Amino acid sequence: MIDVKGLKKTFGDNEVLKGIDEHIYKGEKVVVIGPSGSGKSTFLRCLNLMEIPTEGTILFEGSDITHANDRDINLMRRKMGMVFQHFNLFPHLTIKKNITLAPVKLGLMTQAEADKKAEDLLERVGLPDKANSFPAMLSGGQKQRIAIARSLAMNPDVMLFDEPTSALDPEMVGEVLELMKQLAEDGMTMIVVTHEMGFAREVASRVMFMADGYIMEQNTPKEFFENPQNPRLREFLSKVL
Amino acid sequence: MGFVDSFKQNFIEQDRWHYLANGLGTTLLITFFSVLIGMVLGFIIAIVRFTHDKTGKMKVGNFICRIYLTVIRGTPVVVQLLIIYFVIFASVPISKIFVAIIAFGINSGAYVAEIVRSGIASIDDGQFEAGRSLGLNYRQTMISIILPQAFKNVLPALANECIVLLKETSVSGYIAVQDLTKGGDIIRSQTYSAFMPLISVAIIYLVMVVVLSHFVTKLERRLRQSDRR
Repeated sequence: MIDVKGLKKTFGDNEVLKGIDEHIYKGEKVVVIGPSGSGKSTFLRCLNLMEIPTEGTILFEGSDITHANDRDINLMRRKMGMVFQHFNLFPHLTIKKNITLAPVKLGLMTQAEADKKAEDLLERVGLPDKANSFPAMLSGGQKQRIAIARSLAMNPDVMLFDEPTSALDPEMVGEVLELMKQLAEDGMTMIVVTHEMGFAREVASRVMFMADGYIMEQNTPKEFFENPQNPRLREFLSKVL
Repeated sequence: MGFVDSFKQNFIEQDRWHYLANGLGTTLLITFFSVLIGMVLGFIIAIVRFTHDKTGKMKVGNFICRIYLTVIRGTPVVVQLLIIYFVIFASVPISKIFVAIIAFGINSGAYVAEIVRSGIASIDDGQFEAGRSLGLNYRQTMISIILPQAFKNVLPALANECIVLLKETSVSGYIAVQDLTKGGDIIRSQTYSAFMPLISVAIIYLVMVVVLSHFVTKLERRLRQSDRR
C-alpha cells in the first residue's frame, strides 16, 4: 500500500532521515518507536507529504506521490488520515462542523450526508452528545477522539498517528488508545508513532525501532520486545520498560 | 451672548445646521467606502505577503506589496490625499468625495494589511496542517480555517483602524470636500464664533466613536462563543 524507497530528509544541515526503505501492506498496524530526535515523526510526516522528502520516492497505492502535482497530493491526503499530537481541532467550529468541513468542502458529501456521518462517528468514538460543543469545551482525550473521528469522516485507507497520546493527561490516555484499538480491530491500516509500549505490544502487527535517522530493527511485537537484537534497541527498551 | 442665542445663531439661522448634517453624511460616506476598500485591499495584501513567507511563491506580488506598504505608511495621509487629487486626477473631472474615498481606502489598506498579516501569523501551524492533511488545498484551508480565526483575533485592531479612519477623514477639507469638520468650520467662518460649531463637531465624532466601539465589543463577544468552556 505504501512503498518507501531511499527516503531522506534534511532540515538545514541536520539530516534527520538518512535513507529509509520500507513497505507497508494493507491492514498492517505498524508501531514506530524510538528516542526523540530519531526521525520517527518526520518519517510519518513524509508519508503524507506534510514534510517534503529531500530524496527518495514514496508510492501510495501504486502512484508516486513525491513527484505528483498539488492536485494529486491533495487527492492522496484524502485517503491518508492524520492524527496530531496536539489534536489541531478547528477552535472556531463546532464539533460537528469540525468533522463535516472537509467532506462537504471537497464535494464528497452533502451537508446532510456529512451530518449523518458525523453522528455515526460521534457514536463510534463515544461522544454523541458533543455535536454542538466547541473544542474548547472538551477534555484532551475527548479532543483527540474527535480528531480521530474527523479523519475517519474522509473514509481514509490508512491512518497516521503522530504521538496521539503524548499531550494527554495520564488518565485520558486509555480512552484514546482504546479507540485506536477498536479501529485496528475493524481492519484499518495504521501507522502509529508512540511511546506507549503496551499499545505496541498488544495492537501492533509489526514494531519498528528508529534511531539516528534509520530503521534499526523491526519485528513482530513478541520477538521485538522479548528478543531485541540491536544494542541501541536493548538500551532503549531497558530505559522505557 | 447666551448659550441659547449662540446656538440659534450657529445652527438655526439660515439653516446652518445643514452644514453639519450634510457634512456628517459625507464623512460617513467616505468612511464607509474607504473602510471597504481598505479591508479588501488589506486582506489581499496580507494573504499575498503571508503566502510568500510561507511557500516562497508570489515573489513579484510580495515585492509590489512591500513597496506599497513602505510608501503609504511612510508618508502623511494629507499628502497622499493632495497628490491623488491634484496630481493623479488633476486633469480628470471627478467627484472630490470619490477621490477622498480612494485616498483613504488606499491609505487604510496598508494598515489593515499588517494587522491581518499578524493575525494570520498568530494562527498555530497545526491548524494549517490539519486542514491540508484532510485534503483541503491551500486556498480552502485559508478561507475555511485560517482566515476566520485570524479575523477573530484581529477584530479589535481592525475596529480600531476603522475608528482612526473615521477621524482621519476630517482632513478631507484639504481638497475642499465638505465633510463634518469642514461643515463646522464653515459655520465658524460665517458666525465668527468658534466654540459652538467646533465643540459640536467634536461631540458628533465622539458619539460615533463610542457607538462604534460598543458594537465592536458586542461582535467580539459573539465571536468569542467558541472559546467558552
